[in-house]
Amino acid sequence: MAVKIIKSKNFVETDFVESLAEVPVEEYKPWPENDKLKIVGKPVSRIDAYEKVSGTASYTTDKFLPNMVYGKILRSPHPNAILKNLNTEKAEKLEGVLKILSFKNCPEISWYYDTSLLFDKNLRYQGDEVACVAAISERIALEALKLIEVEYETLPFVTTASEAMMSESPKVHGWGNILDGKPDTYVRGDVEKGFNEADQIIEEEFNTQVVVHNPTEVHCSLANWDDDKLTIWDSTQAIFSVRDTVAASLKIPSSKVRVIKKFMGGGFGSKLEAGKHTIMAALISRDIGKPVFISVDRKEMNLAVGNRPDSNQKLKIGVKKDGTITALSHISYGSVGAYPDSAGCSWPLKTIYLCPNVKTEEYSVLTNSGRSRAMRAPGHVQGTFALEAIIDDAAEKIGMDPLEFRLKNYAETDQVFNVPYTSKKLKDAYLKGAEIIRWKRRNKTPGSQNSEVKNGIGMATQIWWGGGGPPAYAALKLNRDSSINVFAGSQDLGTGTYTFIAQVAAEVLEIPVEKIKVDIGDTDFPYCPLSGGSMTAPSVAPAIRDAAEQMKGKLISAAAAILNLPEEELMYSQGLVSSIKEKDKKISITEIVSKTRNRELITNGAREKNPDGYATNSFGVQFADVSVDTLTGKVKVNKIAAAYDIGRTLNPKTLYNQIHGGIIQGLGYALFEERLLDRKTGKVLTTNLHSYKIPTIKDAPEIEIAIVSQFDPLNSSIGVKGVGEPAIIPTAAAIGNAVYNAIGKRIRSLPITPDKIIKALYS
Amino acid sequence: MNTQLKNIKFICNDSDVEINIHPGTTVLDFIRNTLRLTGTKEGCREGDCGACTILIGELINNRLIYSSANSCLLPMGHMNGKHLVTIEGLNLKKTLNPVQQAFVDEGGTQCGFCTPGFIISLTGYLLNANNYILSDAVNSLDGNICRCTGHIGIKRAVEKILQNFQYANNNETEKILLLIENNFLPEYFKNILNRLKEISLSLKEEFKATEKSKYIVSGGTDLFVQKWDDIINSDIVLINKSKEKLITEVDGKFFIMGEATVSDLINSEIIKSIFPDIKNYFNLFGSLPIRNRATVAGNIVNASPIGDITCFLLALNATVHLSNESLKRTVPLKDFFKGYKSLDKAPDELIESVSFEITSEKFLFNFEKVSRRTYLDIASVNSSVYLEILNGEIKEIHLSAGGVAPIPLYLKKTRNFLLNKKPEVDIIIDGAAILNEEISPISDARGSAEYKRLLLRQLFYAHFLKLFPEIINAEELL
Ligand SMILES: Cc1cc2nc3c(=O)[nH]c(=O)nc-3n(C[C@H](O)[C@H](O)[C@H](O)COP(=O)(O)OP(=O)(O)OC[C@H]3O[C@@H](n4cnc5c(N)ncnc54)[C@H](O)[C@@H]3O)c2cc1C
Ligand code: FES
Ligand code: FES
Repeated sequence: MAVKIIKSKNFVETDFVESLAEVPVEEYKPWPENDKLKIVGKPVSRIDAYEKVSGTASYTTDKFLPNMVYGKILRSPHPNAILKNLNTEKAEKLEGVLKILSFKNCPEISWYYDTSLLFDKNLRYQGDEVACVAAISERIALEALKLIEVEYETLPFVTTASEAMMSESPKVHGWGNILDGKPDTYVRGDVEKGFNEADQIIEEEFNTQVVVHNPTEVHCSLANWDDDKLTIWDSTQAIFSVRDTVAASLKIPSSKVRVIKKFMGGGFGSKLEAGKHTIMAALISRDIGKPVFISVDRKEMNLAVGNRPDSNQKLKIGVKKDGTITALSHISYGSVGAYPDSAGCSWPLKTIYLCPNVKTEEYSVLTNSGRSRAMRAPGHVQGTFALEAIIDDAAEKIGMDPLEFRLKNYAETDQVFNVPYTSKKLKDAYLKGAEIIRWKRRNKTPGSQNSEVKNGIGMATQIWWGGGGPPAYAALKLNRDSSINVFAGSQDLGTGTYTFIAQVAAEVLEIPVEKIKVDIGDTDFPYCPLSGGSMTAPSVAPAIRDAAEQMKGKLISAAAAILNLPEEELMYSQGLVSSIKEKDKKISITEIVSKTRNRELITNGAREKNPDGYATNSFGVQFADVSVDTLTGKVKVNKIAAAYDIGRTLNPKTLYNQIHGGIIQGLGYALFEERLLDRKTGKVLTTNLHSYKIPTIKDAPEIEIAIVSQFDPLNSSIGVKGVGEPAIIPTAAAIGNAVYNAIGKRIRSLPITPDKIIKALYS
Repeated sequence: MNTQLKNIKFICNDSDVEINIHPGTTVLDFIRNTLRLTGTKEGCREGDCGACTILIGELINNRLIYSSANSCLLPMGHMNGKHLVTIEGLNLKKTLNPVQQAFVDEGGTQCGFCTPGFIISLTGYLLNANNYILSDAVNSLDGNICRCTGHIGIKRAVEKILQNFQYANNNETEKILLLIENNFLPEYFKNILNRLKEISLSLKEEFKATEKSKYIVSGGTDLFVQKWDDIINSDIVLINKSKEKLITEVDGKFFIMGEATVSDLINSEIIKSIFPDIKNYFNLFGSLPIRNRATVAGNIVNASPIGDITCFLLALNATVHLSNESLKRTVPLKDFFKGYKSLDKAPDELIESVSFEITSEKFLFNFEKVSRRTYLDIASVNSSVYLEILNGEIKEIHLSAGGVAPIPLYLKKTRNFLLNKKPEVDIIIDGAAILNEEISPISDARGSAEYKRLLLRQLFYAHFLKLFPEIINAEELL
């Protein structure tokens, strides 16, 4: 197969990333609708489910190697301090302690985009790493942490973005607290003019809280050296990024590092970067010649491995009486914590609604708290909550139905890049979702019900990337027993990667899914992108298809040689190569491999390039039906209707899983989840799941899903768009709008807790 | 480091285990680190995620009863003479069992990390319930957190299991046989009853308190959250359940043993007969595996200002029965709390039981609790009320509130005000004003002081709205 190398630009979580990619020159025709397919689009059960339900799935936390030792990390208890002195003598004497790593004996390894070190003497948040102890048991390592004597010089600190922006506030680093010294700005048209044309102008301010990923499996790594080769088992969403960071940190060639991840207990964005603990495990293991396992505990999960930044957003919208939006402006402030990251959240406002005049300013602000990291649809979740609330308020102001208002301002093309979409079926989603929730029964006058428990209905729209793109590769191997192995350096976070890979290969080769063995999660396999940005399926599935189509070609070629027929005369169907002319001239895969014997057939597939001059986005809408107990302030979400355009459904079972999971995380974001930080002490109050509240099965509402898309005809030969992140984006906004519809008071800050409701109603 | 090793004998899945171990070692650490049964996961070590859920089978009056527990809070000492079941112990030789299969078919598993815990909890339900009801089955999963699936596929799996398998019988032995027959349990469950009986004959003496004893562990659901790393280095005493008569009644006087668990209260026929809504109150308490372990005495001695059982018992004007080697005495519960986490109790005194009297047949009772997350959460504020009405007037009232003072409060002034008055809107509004003076909430992670005041007023109103729906309406009150 002819290939070429191109420059490929894809959106990954918060930014465009450009990379060189090998892509096939010729492209396949997109598959037809799912009802014409045999395996793709069918509710195939997860192929890795057996291990999961029987408890035999081995996660990184379950790995055990002979002689393995355990590392635990000492962290700064202060929001801002200088490490004056460190005495590890007593700890070293404790029986079973093997090594203590700190700034005293660790090479300088740059971290956080060169703003800090692996062990830095400037400790800029409660949780910054001070030392790491390795011992023969986790308990001894924990005991040893208590014996380390540390002298801190505590410094003044800032905990909120608004405080940090004041000129007299302490600086988290030497330089100013606003990242890059200025906001990220975007201007389209002339907002002044736009607001002048408006009949109504609405200005509102919204606040959203910091939330924490809290996947069920903590972050952990096991490192083991054989000679100069390092193997790392890691609970990660990005094996190649971990490999490269480890290699760079240890100054060794990346070919010497192998990163493996078979099963992991979730990530949601927090495991897209190599952790400091991973580097520490590798360093200590090299030093003491034993495998080292380091895991963080739930408290560290809530302090030190990332979060969704908070936001303070000032929105302004201008509308005409007929419902035309004339201008939109957005200023947002978000605290990224102690080290650089992005807290911007303007994107939905720039693109969802037709509007010629838009201006946005996004401030990412440093504070003395745990650093943010990409979390399921970074920015979009915060931004959508505020945007969709003010959209509802604008509709109410001009006396228009919120759904009609959204349809009135429907954008047919991408307004930022001024290009068409490869597909957009949001309109269908609106109508379908409205039908499911029975939109017409919503309160025409919010809060008008005359009962203690009031019901309300609200909606919210979402846009996300999700087109994926090259580079992504996969190799296929046809085995002697006529089964197939797929090798790809992708990873399954629980999202169903194993399963869709098997389905795509089985679809092309027209053989049962059970014949396909999927091997992923290993940097020894061909490169695939990190599992984030909802781009795994759209990037990897086409590469699998390519490899499988090539395998079909090879089978035809092998059959031609065996049957002494020209290749053109042969066709492949359901595991058989047969002559088009003479029906009885045929040969099965099994017979072919019995001839090729151990000379297995191998193919390499690649993701094709994205079409030029188009934008690919996933679209969707959620409608929420809630009840609010006006006596106690308790909110109950009764139902969510979710209608999506996500291109092709590869597997409804895993797709629905993703949407359900996103919605419940969105519900947690809307109602309970909140990292609380004491402004006086700079310390986090919610360091466990006792205080950090994740939804339980009792909070799960009824969810009804409608997929309004068949496939995206232009993005790739598979036509799937991402859904992992789209699922969470509109939930909190829809719930917020439904609560308003129920009680007639708008809660402009998340989470919507009973106290905010009670206060809004009674004080 | 291990100061105190004990000989412990039990059955883990199909294997007999006998080991000398510190009785405060958590079962989670033992099964993962010593037995290397890694299907049981650690997610939080604080009873809040359910990834570590296991089943305990025990002989109670010669019957084999199973219940779920969080192994991260469970001391090995409590396994003596029991059957410990982990996910590995549910696996059949050739196929998945119907619970596992339903999780596969209905999308009940995504990353899978929480899955063994869910399967254990649900199997616990099947073993426990006398007839299967969907909402109860779902309730039995209230201590298992899944961050991936949104619990929807899990709910569907539960539905499917109950659709395909219905059963109504309260004989445990028959139930176990039927579950084996239908592939829910492996064969070896057949012999567990007899094996446990045999083990019970050879059990060593129970652990007794000595002067060195630093911790008295009952359910462990408070102690193991706060002190697990110290417990394992200390001498501890484990309180074992007395097998019989945890809850008794003599002539309107009720006794609850200190080691009775929340589940024991919910399931007690005696309690149900006087508080038909008990299940609704205490389903708001923690999660099923916590309720299975959390004890009445533990709740009182923990002295948390928002303890739910304490709040409930305060409104019954309960009496605490204390004892040590030399002395037995009683203290009214409302006088037991001296200040924040300070009690009228000597370190070596144990709560033997709690008692209360119900003098009127027609008493009224209500319990209210509001927390950030309705289920599996500690209250921001809770409140209970006990009322007797005679000729339209309040003849007796006991009112309690938690989360509004350093100790669980018995609201004496409000009570005195309401006594002998009619439960009418004006009176209640005046009562709320007195209530407001009687409390001293502070701002913390569960809410600001101002909010807690407002919330207690709402709960106070809620009591009367629920108990006197014909006399009092919300519009007038608010
Ligand atoms: C996830 C989770 C959720 C929870 N949810 C709730 C909730 O909703 N509401 C609520 O009120 N609580 C809740 N709790 C707290 C806890 O479960 C209760 O306080 C429980 O009643 C404690 O009982 P225990 O037997 O487990 O106590 P233990 O931990 O065994 O002991 C607690 C204290 O009591 C002492 N003690 C125990 N028994 C005796 C005795 N007989 N005599 C003298 N002293 C004794 C112990 O020495 C210790 O000081 C929760 C805990 C967890 C982990
Ligand atoms: S580990 Fe989370 S409940 Fe035990
Ligand atoms: S499947 Fe991931 S936590 Fe439940």
